[in-house]
Amino acid sequence: MTLSFALFITTALVLVFLLVWALRPPKRGLMSTSEVFEALSEQRHYARLPQILQALRVEDTEYLRDRGHGELIHRIRTERKRVALQYLERLQEDFEVLLEASRILAALSPEVIPMHEYERFKLSLRFAFFCRYLRWRLRLGLQPWSAFGTISDMAGGMTLRLEAATARLGERATMASEFPLFLEKGRGDSE
Amino acid sequence: MGDPVNLRNLAWALTTMLKVILLFYLLRRKLYRSHPAFFIYILTTILMSIVVASAYRHWGFQSIQSWNIFWGGQGVVICTRWLAVAEIARKILANYSGICRLASRLLLAVGICALAYSLLASQNNWQKAVLNADRGLEMSIGMCLVSLFLFARYYRLPIAALEAYLAIGFCLYSCFWIINDSMYERWRASFGTLWNFLEILTFFATLLLWIRAVREHTEAETVTVPAPVSPEAYEKLSLEVNVRLHLLNERLNHLLRTEDSRS
Repeated sequence: MTLSFALFITTALVLVFLLVWALRPPKRGLMSTSEVFEALSEQRHYARLPQILQALRVEDTEYLRDRGHGELIHRIRTERKRVALQYLERLQEDFEVLLEASRILAALSPEVIPMHEYERFKLSLRFAFFCRYLRWRLRLGLQPWSAFGTISDMAGGMTLRLEAATARLGERATMASEFPLFLEKGRGDSE
Repeated sequence: MGDPVNLRNLAWALTTMLKVILLFYLLRRKLYRSHPAFFIYILTTILMSIVVASAYRHWGFQSIQSWNIFWGGQGVVICTRWLAVAEIARKILANYSGICRLASRLLLAVGICALAYSLLASQNNWQKAVLNADRGLEMSIGMCLVSLFLFARYYRLPIAALEAYLAIGFCLYSCFWIINDSMYERWRASFGTLWNFLEILTFFATLLLWIRAVREHTEAETVTVPAPVSPEAYEKLSLEVNVRLHLLNERLNHLLRTEDSRS
């Protein structure tokens, strides 16, 4: 009896809270269709990552430690923390712009693929959670810049992979759009 | 401080008056054409007030006949309320055929789950089956509306002021009903009159919200919908976005994994 009472009251209060949350005005203004396509085609911040990460390599501070520049190390680390936080912010910004573009795209499409939508929803939850987690680690001084330094090597490769994947998709989409045209022509010829 | 019964009767009279005012505005703004289910719902509540008041006068407040009429009427009112909620959802999603289908399935699933959850959480207390069913239906209405708002926010769907206010009114009313029903179930003996009074008061507040929304509604108030994109473009770009999002996620995962292996 007490458990069910608590469950119902909590559920009702959670519903009111969610309603108020859902009614908040959005942070970003609504994107137009042209802005959506622009967001999908332009180069995003993560493409510039290798250059940023190159400056964060841990070997730099080890060299300074050997030379006994304690204060300089501290200053560099503070600066790296700031850069790392800025990078995370940009990464999140890129993610949110893409997500926003995809939602508007889905809203404007006469047919949607539920699996795509579900996949995106899952990704957005995961990304939001881990981004927050990393940010807190940075703020708490858990030295995640070492991790940033290590990934600098793979960052370039990652950008290449992204470009390759996008190019493949572009090719496939072009083929798919040409294929019905070809069929259409064929049908016309046979008539 | 007045007698609770007189206070309740006063609140009841005021609520009925507000319902009539709302009905008047609905007729004046010709909203019975665009919102027939909502119009029928308000009309049903007015008729129910008359029927229940007559039953109380004829058989008394505590009689079994009055109880049957009240809860039977409540069933009819909830059904019409469900239709009004479905009408609002349809209006919000009407211009977006693709996600409309997705939302319909989602809202149906949420509604059924909420009803099942409510009945399960009642711990098989079948003696209070009517109260549990009533609470379950209110919970499913509340959850569906909250899901609808979350869905609209997620996909950035614009909602016209009238639909938004009507939905907020329905949702807050349902949430309050859940609390009210639960309190009644727990403190039945001492809560009876207050329960009735609070129920009327909640509906009173909801009616004020609806009257304001209907009064301020103009026919010119429309929501602009951008031009649709082709399903092919959606499929291509949707896949592309997912690949990019995956890569961004992967990058974040690498950051985490590298950090974890070092710490």
